[in-house]
Amino acid sequence: MNNSIRFLRQFVLIALLGTIFVAFTMSMNELQTLYNDFGQQYFFEEGLSDTGSRNLVTAILLDYRLFDSLFEAGILLIAVSGVIWISKHDIEEKNARFMIDKYKTPDLFITFSRLVYPLMLTFGFYVIVNGHLSPGGGFQGGTIVATAILILYYIDPNKETNIGLIVTVEKIIYLLIIVVASISLVTRGTFFTNFFDPSHDADTMAIYLVILNVLIGFKVALGLWTIFTAFLKEGR
Amino acid sequence: MNPILTFLVVLIGFYGLSTSDNIIKSVFSVTIIESGVILLFLNLGNFQGGSIPILSEDLVSIVDPLPQALMITTIVIGSTVTALSLMLCIKIFHHYGSVKWKEVLARKDVKS
Repeated sequence: MNNSIRFLRQFVLIALLGTIFVAFTMSMNELQTLYNDFGQQYFFEEGLSDTGSRNLVTAILLDYRLFDSLFEAGILLIAVSGVIWISKHDIEEKNARFMIDKYKTPDLFITFSRLVYPLMLTFGFYVIVNGHLSPGGGFQGGTIVATAILILYYIDPNKETNIGLIVTVEKIIYLLIIVVASISLVTRGTFFTNFFDPSHDADTMAIYLVILNVLIGFKVALGLWTIFTAFLKEGR
Repeated sequence: MNPILTFLVVLIGFYGLSTSDNIIKSVFSVTIIESGVILLFLNLGNFQGGSIPILSEDLVSIVDPLPQALMITTIVIGSTVTALSLMLCIKIFHHYGSVKWKEVLARKDVKS
């Protein structure tokens, strides 16, 4: 009896999802006509002279839609604060002992972690600094750097991390991002754009992009490092 | 990729969200829905023969860079939401001793 009710529920659920699917398929043609490629043409023709970035995704993130990117970095900061606040009592209880067991981790893995760690760190910095020329940027490179730091815990399980210091540095870097983004009010008269005029050549304008990419990269790396540490400390 | 297939991924996530009895599986279902939305948006500006939106000398046409820039925001926010929900799952497990929806909701001290 119970089993048949469950089967009936699943059948009704699948029927409802199928109805949504059919409705979406019928409205798909309108979705294709809603989209036009004016924006794509504009970015293709004006993107390099407007922002000095060859990577147009970075151009949008750090120049055209910088206001959005600021709050994107802010949401990461808020989430880090939330994770720390939720796991606060456990950290005090357990006196910051980590979950990783040194005797269960294979020696081969530890040895290769030592080899791979500097390579990952270098690649992360490469992706951050070359964000305006090649695929990547602050968010992606920061994630790579944070992953490299996570591997560091496997090399040395007794490593102690001062979460409060990391979060303080992260907040200072976030304020620096806002300050760098607001310099354009003095030089150009508008908020949240490149502080060089578009009359400069692309290499000069790239200075701003590199500064902002490095700041965002460090901020994301520190934020994800804090989240990793909070999760590792949760183990019992 | 056909946009209908991307919507199928979203529906798979909805199915998992409504049938899973494990809280961690529900969090994974939200992640699946999110990846379906990301695929849909990347599919919007994409077309056959367009190259990546990085300017070089001999370039005829590029795909639209705007959806890709928007989806970076989605990925970052999705990862933070996943981290917060998994941390809440750990707290629920420490407090109630289970991560099953039914076992947690059946307790007397939980207001459903």
